[in-house]
Amino acid sequence: MIGPKSRRILITGGNTGLGLALATKLARRHKLLLSGRKARDDVAASLPPGAGYIVADQSDPEASASALVDGVAEFGWDGLENAVLNAGTGFVATDGLDSADAIRQTLDVNLLAAVLQAQALYPLLKKTSGTLTLIGSVAHKGSATVPAYAASKAGLHGLARALRSEWKGDVSVQVLHPGPAKTEMHDKAGYDPGLMRSLFLAPDDIASMMASAIAARRSPVTLSWVKYLNGGAYTGRRL
Amino acid sequence: MTQSLKRALVTGGSAGLGAAAVIWLQANGYDVVVLDRDQPEGADNRVEFVVCDLASRTQLDTVMPDLIAAGPYDLIFLNAGINATGRFESIDARAHIDVIRINAEAPMVITARLFEAGALRRGGSAVFISSLSRFTGYPGAASYAASKDTLAIYAKSMRSFAKTQGITLTVAFPGPLKTDHAERHSPEGADASKRMQPGEAATLILTDALAGKKTSIPGPANRAFAMVGRVFPKPVTAVMRRLLYSKL
Repeated sequence: MIGPKSRRILITGGNTGLGLALATKLARRHKLLLSGRKARDDVAASLPPGAGYIVADQSDPEASASALVDGVAEFGWDGLENAVLNAGTGFVATDGLDSADAIRQTLDVNLLAAVLQAQALYPLLKKTSGTLTLIGSVAHKGSATVPAYAASKAGLHGLARALRSEWKGDVSVQVLHPGPAKTEMHDKAGYDPGLMRSLFLAPDDIASMMASAIAARRSPVTLSWVKYLNGGAYTGRRL
Repeated sequence: MTQSLKRALVTGGSAGLGAAAVIWLQANGYDVVVLDRDQPEGADNRVEFVVCDLASRTQLDTVMPDLIAAGPYDLIFLNAGINATGRFESIDARAHIDVIRINAEAPMVITARLFEAGALRRGGSAVFISSLSRFTGYPGAASYAASKDTLAIYAKSMRSFAKTQGITLTVAFPGPLKTDHAERHSPEGADASKRMQPGEAATLILTDALAGKKTSIPGPANRAFAMVGRVFPKPVTAVMRRLLYSKL
């Protein structure tokens, strides 16, 4: 095959939104293992052909980490070239204030699950000198609409900065901050972007930018209009 | 105790920066409620003490009504925190969980619940203790760095809401302090003489908070570090790796 070698890639939250868009893009060339909260039968129809699927509900961070490790082993893989920790959740803060439950759920799913998964997947990534990719958000600098969500993404940013330095030479660590995409995320979070939605990027374009950022192993990378208008979805490295 | 006393809540008030904040607040006319895991021996009986391990959601939910009832507060000082240092992959998963829960989740939940219950008095201040690590990568304490960034951005995101309630939010980024906590988590043989006294840090932070400042970086050395970290994030992280991580 011409071009880069086929990789073993794990994508959490790979059954929907940006995760699925990325998986669809990579499925032709690479071997994929996707994880999600939903049962296998509910998502089987929408997954790219050949992709494996692990049920890993991140609202229990510890269980989700061991589910991923077990799932990789059951799939017959003894290492990973890439792990993309993309799964996330968000809730709009009603009247500007997140409830205690929303705070806990958001931190568990977006941050703590990623912390424990990164730890659990480290040996698999180290084996191949692979890349750990954390999917943040442009909201990591703060947002009054989604305070807990923004906070959790800032946490991922800090985690990536530290780990990138710690694992230098063993595993590349990066954090990517996508801008808003035309996914179901906003509906699920209880947010109506209204006309703003027409300004959101297509999931497919963001997935293209994610793929080339993953191949380049840089960190941190913001994937928004600025990058898009500079040809980010069509140029850059190929994964 | 007179009605005119202002009220303050300090989490992690039994030791270190928290204890120093309690002393400062009492000296400045506040009636102080302390939340901590354990009550220090020979505790000050002027302090109302609430025992709670913030790593436990159940414990926090249990004491929350008492915390609300002990208000309304003119100042809250969300300071309780732990660290977990070492190679990220070798640290016990339980420790990572506790770090995120105690340092980030608990102060966020306390803030949200106090706002919800109207337990923060108009004109009051909320102080969030983040860390100077916000301005650098922190190899050797990855989950700690994550938790402190989380807290800093939560506070920043809540600022406009807090304004509608007449509350100012201050995020503090203290550097290394002369506390038992810092002692436990710094590399062996590290020079402690450059660390700031907790009393000095508490005074600077609380003065900034009462002046309504958005951020407080106590001390010129820390401010210089923050500036260099902002301009050269990667070289500063590399230095941190050499000075801290490689010695752990």
